[in-house]
Amino acid sequence: MLQTISETNKNFSNEISQVSDLKQLENLRIKYLSRKGIIATLFEDLKTVPKEDKPAVGKSLNELRNSVQTQFDTLKEKLEALSGNNKQAVDFTLPGRGKSVGSKHILIQTLDEIKTIFRGLGFSIAEGPELESDYNNFSALNFAPDHPARDMQDTFFINKDYLLRTHTSPVQIRVMQNQQPPVRAIMPGKVYRNEAISARSYCLFHQVEGLCVDKGVTFAELKGTLVSFARQFYGSGFKYRFRPSFFPFTEPSAEMDITCFLCKGKGCRMCKQTGWLEILGCGMVDPNVFKNVGYDSEKYTGYAFGMGIERIAILKYDIPDIRLYFENDLRFLKQF
Amino acid sequence: MKISLNWIKNYVDLSGISSDDITDKLTISGLEVEDIEDKAKLFDNFVVGYVKERKKHPNADKLSVCIVSTGEEDLNVVCGAPNVAAGQKIAFAKIGAVVPNGGFKITKAKLRGEVSMGMICSANELGISDDHSGIMVLDPSLPAGMPLAEALGLNDVVFELGITPNRPDALCHIGVARDLAAIFGRKMTLPEVDLKEIEEDINGAASIEVENTTGCPRYTAKVVKNVTVKESPEWLKQRLVAIGLRPINNIVDITNFILHEAGQPLHAFDLDMLKDHKIVVKNAMEGESFVTLDSKERKLSAADLMICDAAKPVAIAGVMGGENSEVTPETKNVLIESAYFNPSSIRKTAKRLILSTDASYRFERGTDPNNTLYAASRAAQLMAELGGGEVLKGTIDVYPQKIEPLKVNLRYARITTVMGFEIAEPDVKNILLGLGFTILSENKDSLDVEVPTYRPDIEREVDLIEEVARIYGYDKIPPVERIAIALEEKTDQSAYQDKLRETANSLGFYEMITNSLQPKEIASITGKTIDMLNPDSLDMASLRTSLLPGALIAVAKNLNVGQKDLMLFEVGHVFNKIAPEIKSFDDFSEENKIGFIITGKAQTTQWYEKERAFDIYDLKGLLSAFLDKIGLDNELKDLYTHVENKNFDYTFAKLYKDTVVGFGGAVSKDVLKKFDINQEVFAFEFNIEALKSIQLEPKRFKELLKYPKIVRDCAFILDRQITCEEVVNVIRKGSSALLKKVELFDIFESGNLGNNKKSMAFSLEYFDESRTLKDEEVEKDFNRAVETVKKELNAEFRGI
Repeated sequence: MLQTISETNKNFSNEISQVSDLKQLENLRIKYLSRKGIIATLFEDLKTVPKEDKPAVGKSLNELRNSVQTQFDTLKEKLEALSGNNKQAVDFTLPGRGKSVGSKHILIQTLDEIKTIFRGLGFSIAEGPELESDYNNFSALNFAPDHPARDMQDTFFINKDYLLRTHTSPVQIRVMQNQQPPVRAIMPGKVYRNEAISARSYCLFHQVEGLCVDKGVTFAELKGTLVSFARQFYGSGFKYRFRPSFFPFTEPSAEMDITCFLCKGKGCRMCKQTGWLEILGCGMVDPNVFKNVGYDSEKYTGYAFGMGIERIAILKYDIPDIRLYFENDLRFLKQF
Repeated sequence: MKISLNWIKNYVDLSGISSDDITDKLTISGLEVEDIEDKAKLFDNFVVGYVKERKKHPNADKLSVCIVSTGEEDLNVVCGAPNVAAGQKIAFAKIGAVVPNGGFKITKAKLRGEVSMGMICSANELGISDDHSGIMVLDPSLPAGMPLAEALGLNDVVFELGITPNRPDALCHIGVARDLAAIFGRKMTLPEVDLKEIEEDINGAASIEVENTTGCPRYTAKVVKNVTVKESPEWLKQRLVAIGLRPINNIVDITNFILHEAGQPLHAFDLDMLKDHKIVVKNAMEGESFVTLDSKERKLSAADLMICDAAKPVAIAGVMGGENSEVTPETKNVLIESAYFNPSSIRKTAKRLILSTDASYRFERGTDPNNTLYAASRAAQLMAELGGGEVLKGTIDVYPQKIEPLKVNLRYARITTVMGFEIAEPDVKNILLGLGFTILSENKDSLDVEVPTYRPDIEREVDLIEEVARIYGYDKIPPVERIAIALEEKTDQSAYQDKLRETANSLGFYEMITNSLQPKEIASITGKTIDMLNPDSLDMASLRTSLLPGALIAVAKNLNVGQKDLMLFEVGHVFNKIAPEIKSFDDFSEENKIGFIITGKAQTTQWYEKERAFDIYDLKGLLSAFLDKIGLDNELKDLYTHVENKNFDYTFAKLYKDTVVGFGGAVSKDVLKKFDINQEVFAFEFNIEALKSIQLEPKRFKELLKYPKIVRDCAFILDRQITCEEVVNVIRKGSSALLKKVELFDIFESGNLGNNKKSMAFSLEYFDESRTLKDEEVEKDFNRAVETVKKELNAEFRGI
């Protein structure tokens, strides 16, 4: 009997190794595993085995059945996976069931990049109102009344004392009024300019300003910080320069240029043939501003800087018309 | 402002320095070169030519054939001008030249069978004058082959400088020359005035009276008699043309020339048109009108400073002269006004009249009060030289209180403190001296510096530090490579709204940014507008009072371009008037909001699903998911019986405790019509500060459920007007605490159910955190719930 079992096992292994499709496998199942199959017959024969041999033969027979069943199941699964019918049931070229996520506005994405860099440089992020007092927007920032410096920024006035902020600098004033040095913060937000809307100018734009006040803050530190920012934001393949400029709230004042990334400094339409692109304005906080917020300018020095997000994104993504930002055409929004 | 390099070279020796170098240095020391016009480039391939021979053209009567020498070669040239002759020096365009007037390029040509290797030009073709009667005949002493630009003195470079408002001194050629002298360490030479005055004294010929000495601290006048008003000489015209001015006559040209040379605006009056030969400087009468040089009538205010004669106004001080006293071809006697006006007074008048002139531009930035005499004298001298006039003896100079130069102390150590870099003492002194500052005294730590009155921007030590640093060169100050920062707490006031943005994105919303300025009729739809006093256009007359109108504009824009299925949101400030007049920050509200808008199809037809339009339940579901993500879905309650709002057909609100923190619904058809939108739009707006201020319990881990849940379904036939919420409440009422969740999963109406009836099916979920429930107890609970609904809502139980 044990020999029969062993032979059956060998036969089955032989036969299953020849099986190449489900039909043959089914035949094999009928032959071995069906109710009248070989294994069932062997179990019938068990009854005739002498009592003392029964445990050993029974065990052997069980092992045979398990082994055959396992081999059968494994092959069946394999053949089914390969079978032509199942393959046709999945058409991988059908489009997937649609899911969509939105995106942030490209200006906000650009702002996020800038915020991330300055957070890494130890800056906090502060915000303030867009409808400001003339005092916070101009006077406190050392714009003398009736000074032509006020013409640098066409202003939307609500009345003689209130206006739409023309830069985020009033947030500097608010921060300094509420906090003693050290101050280290950037101030993003919308600002307004009373200009006709065209491809190149809009009545509002987004700005990020930065302010750092402490003992021993210098122009050299301002340069170091902004160069570090520019390297992180624009990559390292550019030259930079700082040239003198004028802002009432900083003295000395400067503008930072980097080599034009379209022409690499040779001169082109983007850089107006100069080879340079202006990326931000900056300077050392004017002592009059410190006086207006009650800081001692002999004890503390500070720097401030500011940049326009629209312009940065225009340069970075080659966007031809500033109005595209505010028309919110979905085809535009989806590009970023 | 335009600056001619040739002109500058009269005041500072720039020999050996290229114009490229000058451009770079001007820019990096603070006078930004915005544009460069290299006049010589216009005349590339133009040279002085010598007409060796002239013959008649064999095949054309009106043409001649010349042999022109370019110094290097002799060329055959066909010419059509009647005045061409052998022996002339002429302006010659070689092959490849581009003719300035007309822009055509000279190529080798055959004219009636004769080869022509260039062109002999007229002054008109060169763009130099209107003369096109014949070719331009040049000075015979010019050598053939000399570049034409050089021969004609047209080899100028003109810079367009962007002068910042703090630098009125740089608004003239001498001022720019001064910076260049300091930058390159060269010497300045100012034109000397050597006046030949006649015996007659100015005091007998004119008188000056200044009533308002605050508005006019100094008024200097010279008188020149018997001038001949005529065309200016070539050199003067060339100077003015180079910087884009139109020559008019010698007198006017001289005043313009001095303005651009020395920065002092002058005015020339026809002395004989001034009643009693008198000048009175006083304020205008309120409402008085006056005709300026440009023939426009201007309405004046009592704050405007006027130049008058004994009877009438003759000029708006510092802004523009009057028609009634201007120099004409008949003028014989001229009074030269060279004054210093109060910058703020001039600015107010110029701003109010919206009249900016070369004069007002300089006065409002601040001219040099101590330069008026020099400028007047130089002008008088030129009028004598170029107009044959006689300068009367003396000057009338009303200057009751001399404006003294400021003295400012500069500490070397402070330069290092501000710049983070030590600039050597000799460099500091040389820079200041080069810019015209005087060192009054010095010790080892500091300098006492006298600031010339042409630099009104320099008042403090830090202003001097900037002067030193900018001429020294910002680029020579090395950036620090490491910094120490204070480790105080860092805050991020934008973090919360950024989280809202990301949550909205994850639900499929795209972010938009709309214009916060709108036409008043649009902004008024949603609130009380705050209006601009002076908008450039009425399209930006008012601040938005809600995010809704801007969003609708964006929707309309998208529909126009065929984008009909939209999920958009915006984060931005909205503004509402509280008090009728804004006198403080309490008189208006400025709130940060997040607004959502959906329209079109929630689902387009796909192979796996039929299309479906957005409805109010999409909005509800999206908001619920949004709030859930930010931890607020359970904190906020829905309020459906919100006040009627004309902008919405139906609305609901989100409440925290008893405060509305968000509001929206289905935008009304009337509003949509205003925006040309003809599909349903759903919108909702939250107040970000209100959401942010909700104090959430800190999150704590909750044990995961270890015991099985039991779910039982039930369906009821109910009266149609019974709401889902009512049924849920009754189910809960009839249940024990084992019931944890009730969810509607089916709803329909059908005739089979009876009139005004509907079927609603719910799924009820039971569990206990601490044990396995027995089927019997759930069965009991469930049956009680069903019975309660049947009884209280008169419902028919349809089973499961």
